[in-house]
Amino acid sequence: MDPHEPEPAADWTRRAAMGAMAAGAVGAARARAYAQPPAAATPPARPRIAAVVTCYYKTSHGQGIVDRFLDGYGWQGKHHRPALDIVSLYVDQKPKGDLTDERLARHPGLKEYPTIAEALTRGGDGLDVDGVVLIGEHGDYLRDERGRMHYPRYEFFKQVADVFRKTGRSVPVFNDKHLSWNWEWAKEMVATARELDFPFLAGSSLPVTWRIPEYETPDGAAIEEAVCVGYGGVDSYDFHGLESLQCFTERRRGGETGVKAVEVLRGPDVWKALDPAAGGSARTRALFDACLCRSFRLSSPMPGYGNAFPTLEQAAKLASDPLLYRLHYNDGLVGSLFMMSGLVADFTVALKLEGDSAIRSTQLYLCGISPNQTLPNFFSPLANHIEAMFLTGRAPYPVERTLLTSGVLCTAVDLLAEKKGRAETPDLSSIAYRAPRESQYMRS
Amino acid sequence: MRSRKPIDDAPQASPPPAGRKRMAIVTTVWKYLSHAQHMGDRFLVGYPMDGAWKKPAIDVVSLYVDQKPEDDQSAERAASFGFKVYPTIAEALRQGGDKLAVDVVLIIGEHGDYPTNEKGQILYPRYEFFKQAADVFEADGRAVPVFNDKHLSYSFEKAKAMVAASKRLDFPFLAGSSLPVTWRLPSVDLPYGAVVEDALMVGVGGSDPMDYHALEAMQSVLERRRGGETGVRRVQMIQGDAVWKAADAGRWSRELLGAALSRSDSLQGLSAEDGRTQALGEGDEIARIAQKPAAYFIDYRDGTKATLLMLNGVLADYNLAVKVQGRPDPLSMQFLLPPNPNVAYSAQLMDKVVRMVETGRAPYPVERTMLVCGMLESCLDSRQKGQEPLDTPHLAVRYDSPRESLFART
Repeated sequence: MDPHEPEPAADWTRRAAMGAMAAGAVGAARARAYAQPPAAATPPARPRIAAVVTCYYKTSHGQGIVDRFLDGYGWQGKHHRPALDIVSLYVDQKPKGDLTDERLARHPGLKEYPTIAEALTRGGDGLDVDGVVLIGEHGDYLRDERGRMHYPRYEFFKQVADVFRKTGRSVPVFNDKHLSWNWEWAKEMVATARELDFPFLAGSSLPVTWRIPEYETPDGAAIEEAVCVGYGGVDSYDFHGLESLQCFTERRRGGETGVKAVEVLRGPDVWKALDPAAGGSARTRALFDACLCRSFRLSSPMPGYGNAFPTLEQAAKLASDPLLYRLHYNDGLVGSLFMMSGLVADFTVALKLEGDSAIRSTQLYLCGISPNQTLPNFFSPLANHIEAMFLTGRAPYPVERTLLTSGVLCTAVDLLAEKKGRAETPDLSSIAYRAPRESQYMRS
Repeated sequence: MRSRKPIDDAPQASPPPAGRKRMAIVTTVWKYLSHAQHMGDRFLVGYPMDGAWKKPAIDVVSLYVDQKPEDDQSAERAASFGFKVYPTIAEALRQGGDKLAVDVVLIIGEHGDYPTNEKGQILYPRYEFFKQAADVFEADGRAVPVFNDKHLSYSFEKAKAMVAASKRLDFPFLAGSSLPVTWRLPSVDLPYGAVVEDALMVGVGGSDPMDYHALEAMQSVLERRRGGETGVRRVQMIQGDAVWKAADAGRWSRELLGAALSRSDSLQGLSAEDGRTQALGEGDEIARIAQKPAAYFIDYRDGTKATLLMLNGVLADYNLAVKVQGRPDPLSMQFLLPPNPNVAYSAQLMDKVVRMVETGRAPYPVERTMLVCGMLESCLDSRQKGQEPLDTPHLAVRYDSPRESLFART
């Protein structure tokens, strides 16, 4: 990115940060094709929140996110204690290492309930919380024949929405990661949020974590091509890769216009797509290479060397099951997600902008997961955005991003299972939205 | 990879291809994950920089390794990349001929089996390596840029002599840790010329390797303060419970501790146990989990004060908080050390060597490293002498920091 003297963060105070986030959400609400409904009522000064999680053990998303509300977290140079109270908890499974009792013991204001409905009504008749956090990640759930993990996010959401309907009152909801493994359900979740008119935030922490270096798509820039290189499995980390890609592409000129088709490639075809000598695209290759150069965890192709750049042949030896998800956007942009387990162990993005000879690239840095690190602090900016939604009554960024990435993921999983290469995606073609002008990632 | 060059014993080295520079590497040990491997390999296979794979126009033409353990890689590297391992430093610099035949010297005196002195310092022969290089420069009537990894020497006297030699023989001399040039979270620097009211660094690891890194990281920020660097008046090092009592007595700031720890991704204790976040800047938990904590107090000649806390058992990364006049909250940052085996920070440091070779100037003053050598040595002396404060008139080291921030951010 253009070297320039970095200025110390302008937003030094919590108040300033909250103001900035609220402004971002307001900006988004005003934008064309995206109007986040306002909260039904003025949010209370200190919202009471229900946390609904599949699991609560060390390294689970439930622990990573809810702990930040209970115990606070390092934020902008202080230990930030969120201005909200987690008052009720529903835990679906308690495997070995469950921390529910420990957290309940240390937080007397927190009560556990046997059902989601009771967690929301806190034993009474009416809805008795001001917000809901749904975390359906980790735990022992069915992995189906297509490789989809049946995390019960839709089921959880539906029980929440049922309470909203019955009690005639709705409050903001956050849903961790993609909406559902089932596309029809994902669509229904967003439709329900619109129908019941509550702020709905969802998605991965990748779009909001640190970027190394700091980089954002200039607002309204024309993007010629976008590439993300990530790692992990199908219906798993590929979602993080799609969100990583989407948070950069959605800022392009004209805003998000939807995805008309999804392509998947697996195995040797992926390397061909990267090899101009085999009919692949030189530009895609250049973007892919830029991503590898942003990785902190690029595997060395040569034993005894810590950090060397692989040839395609060497890369193929390191990444034995490469995947490429190709997104054909309505406006002609093509975005590629390369899943390269074995070659890298982080998420990087590279863009080619119109009128810019350079390739712009960055790493979406997952702090806290390297050896010696203990705190998955990439959850901190996510927790902060969730808090902002509960305090302001507005989602800081549109759930349409996650609806779109959920749809792409569902399509890609189907294509892989059916060994098909491409599907037209009329449902995704109608998902148009505008991202907030202000960047939402952590940088102060 | 470059093609293999024939190796012969021709008395005179051939001149480098047009536009390329020749490098001699002088090191204690070259094995996997040693500093020589991390840094030397950058000139053999290139390195990631600014989103591209950079191959600087520098050829490693000769190598001296002081020790060859079982897992030595020097012979393999020499064979793969067509350079020669010489039995002496002088021969390496002359490529076996009778005149200096390289354009830059990389001295890496880290790792290897060397004795430790009574202060706990490992006696790496950096001064001795440097002196042999300087002797060649002097004898041959030509001097070339030198990079020295980490501190110049365990001894300030030796460090001073090294810097003096570089001035006398008039060659660019760059040294130090990679912490000053690595990525920061967030990507911030002290505004140039700001007034520093107080500073606190937290780090981890043994003395003297890791405290050196921490002190130099802090120095690279504080040297930008108003008036520039004017040197250190007094230091003190204390250990154990005295560290916490010193906070109660106002010697160092709990507020800055909280700010520094808020940047950590590696809190230990209960965070390591069950993943919870902690506000270790508050309360006594930190004293419970810290193992043999140490405080290094640095009183600068201009009245600025700074503290390094080495907090084994509390965290596993390096974070700084600075109270800046006119700012409501402290400036704070983590000096990011990306993981093994890539150690992305060493690419950043070696790129500064490339910049020195390209421009003929060290991108930042070696006096930084010299001063930190002296600070550390005097802190260790203070610890030896009953943890009493020590006046440091010998550390009246003045220098101006570059205005441009030189840490990784592009």
